[in-house]
Amino acid sequence: MYLVAHIDQAICSETACRLCTQYCPEANTILYDNAAKTAFVAVDRCKGCEICVGICDDLAKHHAIKMIMITDLQDTFELSKEGFRPETWTGKHP
Amino acid sequence: MSLKNMTITPGWEKYMTKEYIDLVERGPYGKQKKVSEMGSFKEVLEEHPMCAGCAMTLFIRLTMVGLPNPEHTILIGTAGCGRLALTQTSIPFIYGNYGDTNAVASGLKRGLEVRFKDQAKDVVVMAGDGGLADIGFSAVMHSWFRKERFTTIMLDNEVYGNTGGQESGMTERGALLKMAPKGKLFDKMDMMGLAQTSGVAYIARLTPTNPTRVASVVRKAVMIAREVGPTFIQAYTSCNIEYAIPTPKVLDDARDIESKRYGFMEIISDEAKAYLDSIDTAKKAKKE
Ligand SMILES: Cc1ncc(C[n+]2csc(CCOP(=O)(O)OP(=O)(O)O)c2C)c(N)n1
Ligand code: SF4
Ligand code: SF4
Ligand code: SF4
Repeated sequence: MYLVAHIDQAICSETACRLCTQYCPEANTILYDNAAKTAFVAVDRCKGCEICVGICDDLAKHHAIKMIMITDLQDTFELSKEGFRPETWTGKHP
Repeated sequence: MSLKNMTITPGWEKYMTKEYIDLVERGPYGKQKKVSEMGSFKEVLEEHPMCAGCAMTLFIRLTMVGLPNPEHTILIGTAGCGRLALTQTSIPFIYGNYGDTNAVASGLKRGLEVRFKDQAKDVVVMAGDGGLADIGFSAVMHSWFRKERFTTIMLDNEVYGNTGGQESGMTERGALLKMAPKGKLFDKMDMMGLAQTSGVAYIARLTPTNPTRVASVVRKAVMIAREVGPTFIQAYTSCNIEYAIPTPKVLDDARDIESKRYGFMEIISDEAKAYLDSIDTAKKAKKE
């Protein structure tokens, strides 16, 4: 069991500032859904560093990201399974 | 490499991994991607084993976005943490012996200029402070004195991270490390000054606090190296393991170090400045 970043899309989509995507040290881990106007996390890529939480809380001031136990998340997105296919994202990922 | 080499031969798509297909179809090739587009395109960097929350990882990720032509770039690295990620990019990577990077890059760049007369090929060295300021020091200096046309990026975590915490020439005086238990006795080396003395065309020192700035500095350095002469970027990329920085605080530390002593600094030669201006003028003329 380990913690991964989880984005509350209702909060994020109000502004969708995209700051966390730019500061996450891992490539293609916080992805951006252009249709739903929200960021979301590829849980198989997240290393749990919490940098994005600080960025969303202190820089963006939106408080949309929390660290959640991986086993408490349902319908997660895994990049290694789904590949990088933005046309299929469209609001489907929690 | 070139974009043509990456393209999948018709009929072979089903044998390629999805990562490869995504890269060819949704990667950053052929068009300069912006930092603000991150999360919407497939990056050249894949999964890698560098530590969680490592600032060096972030800096490498942003560097890849800044490269003006990843399809015409060759990376050179060496022993040290950075190569753990650099080897997981879709950019050809050469593993120089520890200390050799800038000698290898010199020969490679000259060879590429002979082989590809009509296509600029960019050579970028990325290695640690130990690799460049200590053991690779003479090769770095001589590549600068000889005005070799490639970019040197120092991933300055101010320690030998990969081997468990020895001090380097770039460690701050007084810093306590596992293998400098009494604190370092000497000053941090002035690589910016040495680069200036040896006539480097573009020199920059920065931290990863501003992603757009990182990409823009990398782009300038690579472009200037293509046409004018050697370029050097010294980047503070903290080692959260050896300096015991809790990962959620890694960017706070970068901001703190930036404001206290590292800053953002650029030194550009007149010739390099004129070259950048000429690119801007050409871009504006194209738009009109
Ligand atoms: C010729 C040689 N000497 C020593 C080593 C062992 N070695 C591997 S990585 C490393 C230190 C790396 O430190 P630095 O270059 O600062 O990179 P960092 O790991 O901190 O990113 C050393 C000494 C080696 N690989 N080759
Ligand atoms: S920083 Fe917060 S509000 Fe901005 S894109 Fe990320 S999750 Fe959304
Ligand atoms: S916790 Fe770290 S690795 Fe995970 S999404 Fe946030 S910044 Fe990226
Ligand atoms: S040891 Fe330090 S520099 Fe190396 S990957 Fe880990 S945090 Fe980064």
